[in-house]
Amino acid sequence: MLISNSKLAWHFYQQEFSSSHQRLLRWTQGILLLFIMTLGQTSQSIQAYLNDNLQSLLGADAVLSQSSALTIKQQKELAAITNTIVQTQDIKTTLTHNEHWQRTKLKAVDAQYPLQGQLFTSSSLNDNEVVTQSGPEQGHIWLDARLLAGLSINIGDTLKIANQAFLVARVLHHEPDRLMEGHNVDMRAMINTLDIKSLEFAPELIHYRYLIAGSVSQIKALITWQQENLPASQVHHKQGNHPLALFWKRTENFMGLASVLLFFMAAIAINQLTQVHIKKDQYFSAICMSLGATKSTGIQVSILKWLFGLLLIMPVIVTLSAISHWLIINWLNETFTEIVWQWRLTSMLHSVLAVTTIFAIFHAPVWLSLRNNSVAKLFSNNKQGLSHWLSKLSSLVVLSLVVISYSDNALLTLMMVAAIGFTIVVMILVSWSSLTIGEKLSQSFSGLIPFSLFMMKQRLISKSTQILGVGLCAFLLLFTLMLLKDLGNTMTSYQRQHDGNIIVSQATKPQMQFIENWANEHAIDIRQAKPYMYAKLVAVNSQTLAEFSSKPSDSMATFSHAIRLHWSEVVPKNNKVIDGQWWQNNTENWQQISVEEEVMTDLGLALGDWLTFFIGQQQVKLQIVASHVFQPGAGSITFWVQMPPTALAHIQSAHYSMASIELTQQQETLLPALWQKFPTLRMVSLKEVTERFDSMLAMITKVISGFSLMIIILASVVILASISALESQEKKKNSIIMSFGFTQVTCLKLNVIEWLVTASITAIGAILGTYFSGMLIYQSQFSLKYQPDFIWLSITLAIILSVVTGLGIYASRHSLQSSVKQLMSDT
Amino acid sequence: MPCNIELRNICQSFQTNDTKVTLFEGLNLTISRGKSYAITGPSGAGKSSLLMLMSGLEEPTSGTGTYVNGEQTKPLPELRSDIGFIFQQFHLLPELTALNNVALPLKLRGDKNAVTKAKHWLEKVGLQHRFDHKPSQLSGGEQQRVAIARALVFEPKFIFADEPTGNLDQKSASEIADILFTCCQENNAGLVAVTHSEVLAERAQHRFSLAEGQLSTQETNILKVASC
Ligand SMILES: Nc1ncnc2c1ncn2[C@@H]1O[C@H](COP(=O)(O)OP(=O)(O)O)[C@@H](O)[C@H]1O
Ligand SMILES: [Mg+2]
Repeated sequence: MLISNSKLAWHFYQQEFSSSHQRLLRWTQGILLLFIMTLGQTSQSIQAYLNDNLQSLLGADAVLSQSSALTIKQQKELAAITNTIVQTQDIKTTLTHNEHWQRTKLKAVDAQYPLQGQLFTSSSLNDNEVVTQSGPEQGHIWLDARLLAGLSINIGDTLKIANQAFLVARVLHHEPDRLMEGHNVDMRAMINTLDIKSLEFAPELIHYRYLIAGSVSQIKALITWQQENLPASQVHHKQGNHPLALFWKRTENFMGLASVLLFFMAAIAINQLTQVHIKKDQYFSAICMSLGATKSTGIQVSILKWLFGLLLIMPVIVTLSAISHWLIINWLNETFTEIVWQWRLTSMLHSVLAVTTIFAIFHAPVWLSLRNNSVAKLFSNNKQGLSHWLSKLSSLVVLSLVVISYSDNALLTLMMVAAIGFTIVVMILVSWSSLTIGEKLSQSFSGLIPFSLFMMKQRLISKSTQILGVGLCAFLLLFTLMLLKDLGNTMTSYQRQHDGNIIVSQATKPQMQFIENWANEHAIDIRQAKPYMYAKLVAVNSQTLAEFSSKPSDSMATFSHAIRLHWSEVVPKNNKVIDGQWWQNNTENWQQISVEEEVMTDLGLALGDWLTFFIGQQQVKLQIVASHVFQPGAGSITFWVQMPPTALAHIQSAHYSMASIELTQQQETLLPALWQKFPTLRMVSLKEVTERFDSMLAMITKVISGFSLMIIILASVVILASISALESQEKKKNSIIMSFGFTQVTCLKLNVIEWLVTASITAIGAILGTYFSGMLIYQSQFSLKYQPDFIWLSITLAIILSVVTGLGIYASRHSLQSSVKQLMSDT
Repeated sequence: MPCNIELRNICQSFQTNDTKVTLFEGLNLTISRGKSYAITGPSGAGKSSLLMLMSGLEEPTSGTGTYVNGEQTKPLPELRSDIGFIFQQFHLLPELTALNNVALPLKLRGDKNAVTKAKHWLEKVGLQHRFDHKPSQLSGGEQQRVAIARALVFEPKFIFADEPTGNLDQKSASEIADILFTCCQENNAGLVAVTHSEVLAERAQHRFSLAEGQLSTQETNILKVASC
């Protein structure tokens, strides 16, 4: 029975293979499967990588890091609660050799290093890497291969740092405690701890890390101890989160949203297509039944036919997905070093099963309709009444459930579902009211427009499904494009106009003095120089930062490290106070602070909040009294947090400067000498900065284009599906109109008017929906300030809608090829 | 003033794959406004095709069709706006009420009194109580009455009916025949009805039978009565 049914289904499937309803179904299912499968694979790969990475690259059971060394007392306490402690020191410096220079992360290790994991080095570039038991001896330096090339230096050469000579002894390949550096591309060098003392770097520039071995309970004790004694330090441990977890969480939120959108579009497309499928399968099943087959035969054939359709695209989809996954992994390699491509079969089966189930639910109305089928209905068009709406509603409910369980950010999903619901309601209201009013108003006029309005009003139910389908697509497309554009813009806005071509981002007091003299001497122009100190935000209103805000955002990520705190008597020229009041000159009340507006919204801060900073070795409480924004035109150096200068008397911490310098091409040769004198001077050329941003932008553009392409394809499928669903109705309508003595030109005009009306209604729905979801989602989920650019929105929408109208009219050309003759032969 | 459709020496044939199907050859026929005609014949004889030719919706393979209106002689396609159709399957738009279905051709023409005229015609075909019913709420006979009202509402000069009672039981069929002929007569519209129904055919003033490519005239009842 099953075999013969399969044969029948296969035959039926082949016959329908190239008809538009099957082709559109294939596209819809294919695109969604491809997306979900690739997303699943990628997500699994990254999660596995992060976990692996945490286990193998922490190089310890826990790592405590902070910007100063532990005191003897603290070291003793730490030693008491854990087993072994290894200290490493990091400093960002610029190494120079002849006329070459390279920014480098210089690491100093002690005799116990490495604590866990293996250190790989080699004695020359061509040699095999070997496991090395401990770090470099005194007077030696190990450089990584890129640095050797960048400085044009060889093993055995001498490298000078701050006028002290080091022997370049080995090539550094792999450090077992590189977790925290896993996602940065700094070049690396390693020396012995004893040498770093003699280099006499400013102690506050050195970053200290303590690799700690201990049991799970010891690590717990360590964390408790750290929270009490060293609130400004960071602890990473094997049971905890990867430092990149936050970043990845944010990406996943975005992807979750993307899949929600794609699922909705697929649901709309399949829903439109089921109308055609119901008709075809009911007819087929009724014929089978009239020839003596049972009702279940019809259902079985229909299910099998659907399965064949899905199975047949599977090999193509799996291949494409594997290729996309491979490409993505290769591309992610820049961020997640050494991530490898791996096809996870269980994950694939999981995706396929989940998506297939969802598709089956979307497609279920077809099979349900076959259950109520009978031979008598063979030639009578069976009507869709309440059950029609019930099935729509249930698929919407199922869709919401599926989507909520699929995406791991329930709040975001709920918001998106709410936004979609809002858009649906708006579009139903707008289409009903505008058609009613339009029809009433135009009743006294004659012509095709009132007639179109009248017809659309009369066919509101079937028409509104089409309007909803197209409208939701326009909305989703618009929202996605807007979100991607704004995310892209946020990235570019970091790249503010620089007024010098060299930015000194961190100079100590003596360094700055030297730079000033040096600039004077060589007639170099220092455009700006502003002082700051490092401050780590630890609490807001006596809640710890983590308790206070758990949303992942750029600001949050930045505030997990120390930030630059600037002081100024007056509002800086390139700032503008937009809320609250800046302090008076020489104010007695030094516990005041002004916070940048974006940071305020990101962290959910309000005027009057008390911020607790850890500065130097002390806790400082400052109250927010003002909020400022950047104002272009007076230099680019601006700070997120600023306090009155009178506060300096109460805070003991190192002062640094940020400066921008204008250098001519010839003067650039002066830089190596400067770095030789001050290796830790943080200084970047504008070219370097723009290059970094360009590559970031290129990455974002790639993501945007890839995703938009997918949405655009799906949107076209939805539009085509909604047209093909109404095609037979349209055909009949056109034939009837022609039987009244009108020509095809009249039908075409009516069609154009109908599409223009449809487009206008969807336009209103899409704009309102986008605005609403922007307000709902932007701030809370992506920490973006929502400032809708209505001109951009309108232009984009106009483009989308003219494409929609064009596509609609083009795709309806079949229904225009109707004739009165068809009405005569039609049954 | 004469108002005729004239077919002269018409030949219609189709080329399908290798075989050539000839429906009719050397066919001559004149249809006058205000008169009624019935065409009978077996399925596949080409009756519907003949209707298409007469209404100018299709071109004959050879021969000429002309539309003579008073002094003027025009090609058949110009007849388009002066004809109405009635089909076996009624072909009402399912989303529209009976009234709106009838008003449809007038609305398309921009007639401001569309609804009033449509009401008048629905009353004429005896459906004054059914204005707001959808086609699905009407019986076959009632649907066909709506279709007749819709075909006549814009006062066409000719009505072409393709098996208008083909889907109806005998009682409804004769009611429809009554209405159809009476209404066409009152409206001074020429009626061409293709039918298998003897009842319907008998009421026409002229009766033709189409078989094997030949159109032959048959005597009608009226003549029979006269000869008695
Ligand atoms: N466009 C066409 N191409 C090929 N064959 C046609 C075409 N139109 C009609 N026919 C054929 O002409 C014959 C007569 O059709 P039709 O006029 O519908 O007959 P009737 O209405 O008398 O049953 C049929 O066999 C049909 O297949
Ligand atoms: Mg026929």
